[in-house]
Amino acid sequence: MAAPSVSCGAAVPYRLFLAGRVSFAREQGLWKAAASGLQTGTRCQILRLKHSPAVTTKKNVAALRRESYTVDFIKKQIEEFNIGKRHLANMMGEDPETFTQEDVDRAITYLFPSGLFEKRARPIMKHPEEIFPKQRAVQWGEDGRPFHFLFYTGKQSYYSLMHEAYGKVLHAEEWQDQLRAKGLFSEKSKSKDPIGSRWLIKEELEEMLVEKLSDQDYAQFIRLLERLSALPCDAAEEEFVGRFRRTVTVQSKKHLIEPLQYDEQGMAFSTGQGKRKTANAEAVVYGHGSGKIEINGVDYLLYFPVTQDREQLMFPFHFLDRLGKHDVTCTVSGGGRSSQAGAIRLAMSRALCSFITEDEVEWMRQAGLLTTDPRVRERKKPGQEGARRKFTWKKR
Amino acid sequence: MAAPTLKVSRGWSGLALGVRIAVLRLPGLTQVRWSRYGPEYQDPQIDKEYYRKPLAQLTEEETYERELRKTQVIKAAPATKTSSVFEDPVISKFTNMMMKGGNKILARSLMTQTLEAVKRKQFEKYHAASAEEQATIERNPYTIFHQALKNCEPVIGLVPILKGGHFYQVPVPLAEQRRRFLAMKWMITECREKKPRRMLMPEKLSQELLEAFCNRGPVIKRKHDMHKMAEANRALAHYRWW
Repeated sequence: MAAPSVSCGAAVPYRLFLAGRVSFAREQGLWKAAASGLQTGTRCQILRLKHSPAVTTKKNVAALRRESYTVDFIKKQIEEFNIGKRHLANMMGEDPETFTQEDVDRAITYLFPSGLFEKRARPIMKHPEEIFPKQRAVQWGEDGRPFHFLFYTGKQSYYSLMHEAYGKVLHAEEWQDQLRAKGLFSEKSKSKDPIGSRWLIKEELEEMLVEKLSDQDYAQFIRLLERLSALPCDAAEEEFVGRFRRTVTVQSKKHLIEPLQYDEQGMAFSTGQGKRKTANAEAVVYGHGSGKIEINGVDYLLYFPVTQDREQLMFPFHFLDRLGKHDVTCTVSGGGRSSQAGAIRLAMSRALCSFITEDEVEWMRQAGLLTTDPRVRERKKPGQEGARRKFTWKKR
Repeated sequence: MAAPTLKVSRGWSGLALGVRIAVLRLPGLTQVRWSRYGPEYQDPQIDKEYYRKPLAQLTEEETYERELRKTQVIKAAPATKTSSVFEDPVISKFTNMMMKGGNKILARSLMTQTLEAVKRKQFEKYHAASAEEQATIERNPYTIFHQALKNCEPVIGLVPILKGGHFYQVPVPLAEQRRRFLAMKWMITECREKKPRRMLMPEKLSQELLEAFCNRGPVIKRKHDMHKMAEANRALAHYRWW
């Protein structure tokens, strides 16, 4: 029974590590990823992050050469992975046929509980495609002649892609001329949704082609694709362009808006929580009121003697033109006066989301009222007086 | 922030929208300034009127801008900014520059007292003046403040440029931001240093503001001195390469 090949280590960043290894060395890098590969592949692939001193000796340079995995090796890994998945399913008492990757992840976290903080250092079991970096098979035959006609350009996939794209552009232009000649050409402006999708970025293109590109290459390619998309194309060309577009998420969809709750008197209310630095606040906003705000049982005028804090409390209501219309009761603890005010502001804004339309929620989000401020106190570092301040420099 | 930010320009029709590229790592350079926000976070737009504008009145650019912002992550609004009508960015900046040791409460109270003092002085003048003069006296302290600072802004500045082992003071046109900063800085230093011992800051500051409003006073003199120096060093202007 082959043991399930559990790999510890970084999946995607491994590739980045390998790709960037040479530049890291030049950078007098602190971190180097040394993969002690057990090429027989029966047991774990262990990825160790080594902290090496600043100087790179000749000895280290040899170790930086990329590890190459043969096609057979990868195939064997995939087989082992599939067998291992079935074994895992049996172990967990589930049906091996419908065992998905999420189930695998859950099973591994259950069987190998890890207290490590670094998520990438925890045990993972993923498809070998995600773990081993994509590499090109040998590009030439037994006689030494390369397979691809553009091999000697150095970037064969890129140039063949450009070649293909340009062919499509010519074809589309020909088609356009034919339409014009027949008089059937209409100035149809491409009403592509400007925000729904984006071109893929350089890193994604490099990943797709398994080749390094320069910024100019990438820019050239995108220009060509823009030109192609501006012309009238048929389904095949649309599909070709679609391969290079990725969807962009609309941020506001990520917020869940709580429905309104009702208390015994029938008054609508909503709760919200907010944090700022070390202050935690919870606010209850009532649907009808006169603009009273009560904090920890005390009126806001007494709790916040400083104008700036009271302005912060007023901000969400003033922004939505609902200044005297809601009553608020909140509790806050921790932090200082300014962070307590910020926490209450966030809690109130979140509670208010239940009372307003979706558009207004989006406006609040764009005004920065619904984002938790991630800024926290920076720690003091050893060898310095504070977080940034260094000790006084003395010449002797 | 040292990390490069992605700027979306219209020409790329959505290139790299909302995508976080790993920070540029150049060999031999370490990043010293960083932020808790990633490079993809955009600054919040607090102005209420921007959102209340009906969709029909928006130009194409603005519609695109709106659509774009829906996909971006936004930073939290800072604690000093609100949508209040009483808030003024110039006053806030000036208050921050006056602040010492993080004592914003004191700085803000000094600012309000200054504006009150300006208003009181102007009202006294108003009531003591005849009817024709009353029309010319400006009583709004905010307009006086803005106008005074604008009058103090230098147009051209001097920059020390190293050439042939010597530093020469070369006249150089100043950016808008730099001009505003210099005006405020001069005003504050003037009030701090030349104040009589028992006089309080609001009183001195209101005095200076009113004088600057009428294009008199030491801050205006300093601005003119700067201009004269620049005029005197006119011959060195060709040392500037930008």
